Amino acid sequence: MVGWQTQDIGKLGSRVIDFLIERLGGQEIAEIKPLGFHAFAGVRFKDDLVQVPQSKFWACEKDNLLLFKSDEPAFEHYHFLNLILDFAEHRYQTKEVYTLNGATSYAPHTLPRRILTVFNQPELKESLSGFGLEAMTWEGPPAISSYLLWVAKRRSVSGVSLWSQVPFYLAAREDPQAIKLTLSFLNRRFDFDLNLKRFDREIQDQNEKIADLREEDAEINKYISMLESGMKLDEEEQLKLVKQVYELLEK
Amino acid sequence: MGIKLYTEPQLEKPLMFVGWPGIGKIGIMAVNILRDILKAEQLGEIESWDFFYPKKVSIRDGLLEDLDFPSNKFYYQRLEKQDVIFFIGEEQPSERERVYASGERAYRMANLVVDAALKFGCQRVYTSGACVSMTHHQIKPRVCAVLSSEHLIEEVKKYSNTVLMSELGERREGEGTITGLNGLLLAVAKTRGLESMCLMGEIPDWLSGASFPYPKASRSVLEVFAEILGIAIDLNFLDNMETRIGEIIEGFYEKFPPELKEEYDQRKSLARAEPGKITIQAQIYIDDRFQKGGDEGGERPI
Repeated sequence: MVGWQTQDIGKLGSRVIDFLIERLGGQEIAEIKPLGFHAFAGVRFKDDLVQVPQSKFWACEKDNLLLFKSDEPAFEHYHFLNLILDFAEHRYQTKEVYTLNGATSYAPHTLPRRILTVFNQPELKESLSGFGLEAMTWEGPPAISSYLLWVAKRRSVSGVSLWSQVPFYLAAREDPQAIKLTLSFLNRRFDFDLNLKRFDREIQDQNEKIADLREEDAEINKYISMLESGMKLDEEEQLKLVKQVYELLEK
Repeated sequence: MGIKLYTEPQLEKPLMFVGWPGIGKIGIMAVNILRDILKAEQLGEIESWDFFYPKKVSIRDGLLEDLDFPSNKFYYQRLEKQDVIFFIGEEQPSERERVYASGERAYRMANLVVDAALKFGCQRVYTSGACVSMTHHQIKPRVCAVLSSEHLIEEVKKYSNTVLMSELGERREGEGTITGLNGLLLAVAKTRGLESMCLMGEIPDWLSGASFPYPKASRSVLEVFAEILGIAIDLNFLDNMETRIGEIIEGFYEKFPPELKEEYDQRKSLARAEPGKITIQAQIYIDDRFQKGGDEGGERPI
């Protein structure tokens, strides 16, 4: 399972991987060194902390699961993606790859999330047909997860990208509902027996905060109500909603 | 990673014409047009994934159908007097998000192109591009040549409307840099024992940052290509495009402040003698009128 922590919509990729590491007892076993894949012209920092690009593998032996969490490489993507699969295939004979992603959506947070999927082989799509996943149709610039699936396909490794919908105004924060949805799918698919109650509390807490904001700010309430009615917001309205919710969830 | 050939025709000492995008799209347009005119057939490709991030993904009903990478294709044609191979790269394999090729990947790609040239017994490789000079847009662009060896000089002097860089008058002893793969390929070909030549169409310095093509210079390069191959080619179809682009350029030119226009127009009379130098102020004025890319590149004076 692969989660990207660069442009991680709703923090979905990193939170799901972190949760699996914690609950399934993942042991850090390897890393891809960043040199050659990232610019080292200086150092990035966030929240006052120096950020070093990381690409690490964890093994969950009991569940026969290999986890990979990484920053997206800036250079040599093809080589980087092959390194992931080289390690997974040669060391652990990996047969299936799952990428975990958030996808920004116009749907508001009050509506249930959906998981859109991209498969690299029809057989895997068929085998997961009973899980309530929805098929994505898209033409445009590829995400690195799609590139990974393409590389995997060339190596006859089947794979699927899970794209859990995240309301656009939660994209820069965490979306516990989308995170829980992805974990619920993995729970059923792999019989992990994970207790996801923690996310129920997080979802409730987040919903209450946004409900309070709606009460305090009529404009925000109007924007979310418009989304609930299936209406679109203009750029200015979207920006205001994103900014307000971002600041709210920082508290 | 490497070259994938669709066919392996028997070719006799072919010439290879190579084009990558660059300033004014002069070189790639010339090579592309020549390929079209000669109805060259597909020969093979350099597999792109090691050089480029894909441009487009196609996902239909939940199935990943394909990734679309910038193409790097070889074509060939047998002419009465001369066999030819073309290589056309849709993008330059750049590093660190630069527009023009540099670094190890560019070097590898240049070597793959030369691999193909040697495999088919090519006798010479031609690249093409832009020569940024102090010319005037109302003057027919010359073709400026840089060669892999001295013995090609006499040959180049026979081409019409073609000058060696040292004859251009702006560069000391013909010094300069041909940025990107149109230049790097010359070096790689030379080190591997293959004759090479870069034929660059002149473009006025103030137009080098423009986003539109400069077909007038591509035409000049094509005329030289035709001479090299000993063929007649009809380039009338370029007239419309040249007129359209010409009108855009004239639109900018008309808005030049009078003193700048006067200074610039001197180039028309001096162009074939001693070209004038554009002032720094004038260049700033001109640069402000184009949204220039964030990258140095192309064939610029040092």
